[in-house]
Amino acid sequence: MSHYLITFLSALTDASSLFVAAAGLTLVFGALRIINIAHGSFYAFGAFGVTTLVGATAGGGRFWLALLVVPLAVAALGSAVEVTVLRRVYPRDHLAQLVVTYALFLIFGDVALRLWGSQERSVPVPPGLSGSVTLSGGEFPVYDLFVIGAAVAVGLGLWALLQRTPFGWRIRAAVEDPELLASAGSNVPLLFTAVFTLGALLAGLAGALAAPLESVSPGLDASIIIAAFIVSVIGGLGSVAGAAIGAVIIALFNTAGVLWAPSWEPAFIYLAMIMVLALRPWGLLGTAER
Amino acid sequence: MPAVMACATLLAAGCASSSPGSPTSSPVTIGVATTLSGAFGAYGVAGLDGIKLAVQDIDSHGGLLGRQVNVASGDDQVDPATGETVTRNLILHDHVAALFGSVSSAVGAAQEQLAGQYKVPIFFHLANDVGLTTTTFNQYAFEFSPNTDMEPAAAALYFAKVIGHKSARIATITPDYSFGLDTVSAFLADLKKDGVTYTVTDKQTPALGASSFTSQIAALLATNPQYVFAGQYGSDLVTLTKQGLGLGLFSKTVVGGMYDIQVLAALGAQAPAGAIAWDRDPFWTQDSGVMQNFVSSYKAAYHTYPSEFAVIGYSAVQAWAWAVKQAGTFDAGQVSAKLGGATVPTIRGNVTIRACDHQAEVPEWVGTIASAPDPKYGTTLWGPDVLTAQPAQIIEPCS
Repeated sequence: MSHYLITFLSALTDASSLFVAAAGLTLVFGALRIINIAHGSFYAFGAFGVTTLVGATAGGGRFWLALLVVPLAVAALGSAVEVTVLRRVYPRDHLAQLVVTYALFLIFGDVALRLWGSQERSVPVPPGLSGSVTLSGGEFPVYDLFVIGAAVAVGLGLWALLQRTPFGWRIRAAVEDPELLASAGSNVPLLFTAVFTLGALLAGLAGALAAPLESVSPGLDASIIIAAFIVSVIGGLGSVAGAAIGAVIIALFNTAGVLWAPSWEPAFIYLAMIMVLALRPWGLLGTAER
Repeated sequence: MPAVMACATLLAAGCASSSPGSPTSSPVTIGVATTLSGAFGAYGVAGLDGIKLAVQDIDSHGGLLGRQVNVASGDDQVDPATGETVTRNLILHDHVAALFGSVSSAVGAAQEQLAGQYKVPIFFHLANDVGLTTTTFNQYAFEFSPNTDMEPAAAALYFAKVIGHKSARIATITPDYSFGLDTVSAFLADLKKDGVTYTVTDKQTPALGASSFTSQIAALLATNPQYVFAGQYGSDLVTLTKQGLGLGLFSKTVVGGMYDIQVLAALGAQAPAGAIAWDRDPFWTQDSGVMQNFVSSYKAAYHTYPSEFAVIGYSAVQAWAWAVKQAGTFDAGQVSAKLGGATVPTIRGNVTIRACDHQAEVPEWVGTIASAPDPKYGTTLWGPDVLTAQPAQIIEPCS
């Protein structure tokens, strides 16, 4: 019994990490209609940034400082990217936008290689969150519980932002009809910058949260963007709630594969995506492309 | 007439450039087509650094047959198609005299075919699938790492020593591709040969480069294994270890994996004391003067200690240079012929290269991770109980 509980909580940890990363990607797509491949780079910068601030053997207070500072720095980078590059490609078709963000992804990958090298890096779990709790006789890491809690907080925060604030209303209006929003006097370019910055912030936060959970090394950007994209597609591109559901579905399918068909486990994620898209081509909570 | 003179001059220059031992000869280039980016780029970069240092040492002693040696490199991105392109470019554009290959055995197999086609000696200092010296083997290919038969055989010897004559419950977790699957199969077969009675409780095969192994670890632990054989390496092993620590993997079982100095340095204080570790050439277990000189030079050049791949890369260049000197030429056929069956002096000692399949007869080292950082190197390494599995113990006879 403890095994199933620990396995379920492990799946929730994976879902939590994925959700925070995918929320930013899907939010940006919802408002800007851009699939931002460089979102993976922002995630990697978040993780690498934490390794730099915390160091390999230190920890403690510096981790919390890093968790605050690094996502903000990544958000600032995202803001600069939106203003200097992406604004120029909004009028272009999806393919051109995709190529531009992919080019950014490659450039940022080289930048990361030069800044942090090719060596694997690791961040220890911060004191206070190290160790495990015993649940039904099985051990579960305290830090993983923290990640689950952080994802719930991010989800609730985004819900409150989108549903309860004028900023959120404008974002939702931009998703529905940006031209109408502009004609009503809203500064749509500024809104787009704010949304993209928020997306980069979430990517940086997801990377920073994941740093103590995994090896931080080149290639992190590619692996997370694929996973986040699948989650976003399953949930419906543009839907934050859909990203949450998509992340849980992916994690549960992955776990089901591990439990019942280990040698087929890597295929289970794609199986989940195919099944959902066969039933709802625009994702679980998405809407058909306008 | 001037044209004839010009041709004569050019011909003379051409003769000079190919004349062994001429001090005015143009440099000769060796090519390194390996993985320099992505999650496994650290291994390729370490190997490349070892190769560059070897070339630097050759050049500082007057070069090879009077010619300086250059290194050209390209990133295969762990992709066979990219690896082929990079390798072909090194052969056709840079006219390399020798090639040094990929981290991935899949890329290595593609490179091996090109090397055979264009008749260029290729040395594998990273990829070690046994297929490189069997199914895809050709006379220009040389394997300098312990292969995927030898490495798990050494691990099995150590596990057998730890387990003793008791029966054991063993689980395995390995990346879902040829290297990982072959390694697990060979390990289990070798363990049986070594007289261990065991039950396999679970076999997990997550994707290479997975960001989470928590579900697999939880599933493994649910089957109550006493020992876990992990086929992961590099960043995968770092992630597996970090996540395993939180889930009690290392407190409930004895885990074995490829804990080389790069992985242990990345883990820092999280290095799992008591876990079984193996390494293709851990310099810190060897006190020979040539190895220690190499370590000092490497540390001075790159401000870090060399991994096994740097050591093996360096030794592969030494072997190639030795054969060139013996042959008195850079000709691929003659160089390859000199190496097959030869015993070559390297920083790893005298290494014999089997004539039948060009597998270097090298040991594999297995130990137990120490509980505290080594004061000399500043990183947690292994305790004193180190097994040096000799080639005769782990290498399969030529068929």
